[in-house]
Amino acid sequence: MSDTLFWPSCIGGLSIGLFALAQYWITNRQLGCSLAYGHVCGLVSRIEAFHSGELAPADNWRLWFLLGLPLGGFLAVATSPAKHFSMNLSMGEMYDHVMPTALWAKALVLTAGGMLMGAGARLAGGCTSGHVIAGCALLNPASLLAGALFFSGGLVTVQVLFRLFI
Amino acid sequence: MKLIFLLFGTLFGFLLNRAGATTFDFHAQLFLFGDLRLLWVIAYAVSIGVVGVLAMKWRRACSWLGGERLQFDGKPMRRQLVPGALMLGIGWGLTGSCPGTAPVMLGEGKFAAFFTVVGIVLGTYLYGVLTGKQKQTGALSPHALSTRNARA
Repeated sequence: MSDTLFWPSCIGGLSIGLFALAQYWITNRQLGCSLAYGHVCGLVSRIEAFHSGELAPADNWRLWFLLGLPLGGFLAVATSPAKHFSMNLSMGEMYDHVMPTALWAKALVLTAGGMLMGAGARLAGGCTSGHVIAGCALLNPASLLAGALFFSGGLVTVQVLFRLFI
Repeated sequence: MKLIFLLFGTLFGFLLNRAGATTFDFHAQLFLFGDLRLLWVIAYAVSIGVVGVLAMKWRRACSWLGGERLQFDGKPMRRQLVPGALMLGIGWGLTGSCPGTAPVMLGEGKFAAFFTVVGIVLGTYLYGVLTGKQKQTGALSPHALSTRNARA
């Protein structure tokens, strides 16, 4: 943890908020991550839903945005004080404590959690970036409700997970 | 255009890391009301966002690249939003990440996020397959879904 560089919350939060505003102002595209996974599905599937509407191949900016995310993560580690990049399976002290130690079981839990997020984001029409950071900034009622429900789901899950398994 | 969004994605990933959003345990801390750093990150991001949106609306801002007036369209309200948002919340708590942060974690070398990313793709695929059977175009788009609801 000590080899990671964190900005104070106000700097981190303000820069993310300003980033979302800048992206919208410059490109007329609102910040959002989850729909990009539809483009990923479109790479391997011919199902119409992955190639039409907001996923029309003519404007697949979300796919490029999604590709940038791991690059940003790598860059962030490379420029942190420790400059120490290592591949590992650890999720940090707290999650490692409640997660199964067997790799297959851990993979199963994480894949199931990911599937809930993938399908859930499509039902809700967005994820934490689209509904909370971009949507709540618009004071859009649907996004405010979605944000509240994201938190409720996370709250109950983490409370159950960490109170039952510790 | 593609290069611009590759750069935007890279910058967003970098900022998420520096804000602490790509550290699994900060998500657990958030929901255990321990270290509330991520709550403040979100609060600051949304606050400056509200101010910025109001300012841009007031100035009738146009996009730099296309020149068109910004519309500030919000995502539509619909019934599936409730179970969907709860599902996303449960996944958030289980994996300590969300669809935006998981790929960043992968880039940082946190290999556990690989399974999460695979899960998100599978979940999106499952949704597309199930809704695709209804022979609606653009089923993945929130706007398309809302118009379908309006017609139903």
